[in-house]
Amino acid sequence: MSRNLRWGIGLLLLAGLILGAFLFLPFRSWLPGGSVGNIPNRALVNGTNFNRLFPSPEAGEQLVFTQEKRGFSQARLKRGSDVVALLSISDVTSSPASRNKFIHSQERLRSWPLVDQGSQASALLVADRFQVKVIGQGNGMDSQQRHALLEAFDVASLAALNPAIAPAIPAGREARAPGREALAPGRAPGLRLPRFNREAPQAKALPNRSRPSLSNRANAVLEPAA
Amino acid sequence: MSATVLDRLDHLPRRNLTVLALRGISSLVPGGWTNQTSADELIADVLGSDDPELVAQVRSRADALNLSRHEGYRRALSLYDAVNRSQKAAGGLRVLANVAGALPLVKRLATLTPASQTLQAVDLSLKVGAEMLAFTQVNGLPGDSFAAFGASLTEYASEARVRMAALVCFDALLPLGDNALHRLDALLGQVSSHELHQLPSYAGMASLLPGRGDTAHLAFLRRGVDHWLGWADGFVGELGLSGQRAVRALETTLGPWHGGMEQLATFLDAFTDTYAHTGVQAVARRLVERAAAEI
Repeated sequence: MSRNLRWGIGLLLLAGLILGAFLFLPFRSWLPGGSVGNIPNRALVNGTNFNRLFPSPEAGEQLVFTQEKRGFSQARLKRGSDVVALLSISDVTSSPASRNKFIHSQERLRSWPLVDQGSQASALLVADRFQVKVIGQGNGMDSQQRHALLEAFDVASLAALNPAIAPAIPAGREARAPGREALAPGRAPGLRLPRFNREAPQAKALPNRSRPSLSNRANAVLEPAA
Repeated sequence: MSATVLDRLDHLPRRNLTVLALRGISSLVPGGWTNQTSADELIADVLGSDDPELVAQVRSRADALNLSRHEGYRRALSLYDAVNRSQKAAGGLRVLANVAGALPLVKRLATLTPASQTLQAVDLSLKVGAEMLAFTQVNGLPGDSFAAFGASLTEYASEARVRMAALVCFDALLPLGDNALHRLDALLGQVSSHELHQLPSYAGMASLLPGRGDTAHLAFLRRGVDHWLGWADGFVGELGLSGQRAVRALETTLGPWHGGMEQLATFLDAFTDTYAHTGVQAVARRLVERAAAEI
């Protein structure tokens, strides 16, 4: 009898554990459909890393951050109470189709491909991974103003956030590439992006050292590639 | 699965009681309010171009974002829906109580309906709490500093001015009187967890509120309202809002009203969807702004 009782209690505990596991552990996040295109959130650079790369507003202007998610950060540029432009940086890992528009682009800005979309939007693809975009609002902006704004972003530091640049570094240092901060601890930069223009801009990016302090880290990575 | 945000935007009413009530209230708010009910127009407005191919791209990206659980746009909408359902249910109960109170046989029923003032205060605090949760669901925690986050909140609040004006007027000034905002904290202090459970929206929101248990949730709601009151006080002072002015503004679109203010609030609660209506518009705008940046 006591043996049956022990079995009973054992089974009860087991059932309780299993039930508890399903109720309390976050199994939901394992189900598909949690993120866009089912790309794991870890593969995207967190939007917090983008915030400091936005251009600093000029006198009379104000930069108000409006959205910050995994792989995305957006701010409004305001002059007085009017919104002049939407500025944003996004990680195109979750929207691979948005890369296609840059394939035939001839224009370059700081050696990265530049595209105009419609009459009010300009986009720059940095390090084949980060899309920087300026969308004119209200009365609108001409393309020169938008390109000037794009140029004011800290593009060099942004490029350094891309772990896919790592292969350009000598083998021994690969694992310590910056931009690894974008990945969870203990996770190798496993997800390699398809690189259709590999001869690409990072080599040409070197002459552009106009930004002194913040981009130091970026250049430290890029140097061996030259 | 429920409809996407942009589909819901397309199906919002162009002219009904909700729209008329909002249009009435918006006459008190500088800058006014446009009843945006077309996703394509919204996209063209944000993008500054009505190229059909670009619009279609933005739309499909917005739908993909909307489908993803982690992005929170859908959760924000479900919060607005929960609040809206609760408001309608509570309003319906009170309408019923008013009608029943006039009939001799069922008069006793009227005494069963919950004490309205504290319940109204909880309802308001739940709405404010829902507003904050929806903000973080839609926008994340923008900015690297408290100042940046504060600026972001202010920006959002000024975009949602009409909804805030509707919230202040319909849920505070009309049912609780002109000194509602000063009495709110005292009213919330009297709330018991039993009363909290009488509100259907609480059941929907409980899992999203931080903390465990009714007391923790009540504490969160009171703190949330405390922060909100600072802003709302300035808002009311700046626009010179009062119950009388709200009634007059509503009369310009809804027609003359002969009852009391409290009845007007009950009527609006029971028969309009101001919260879900403006909520869909606000979420859709932020969603489109993001999709336009990502295509």
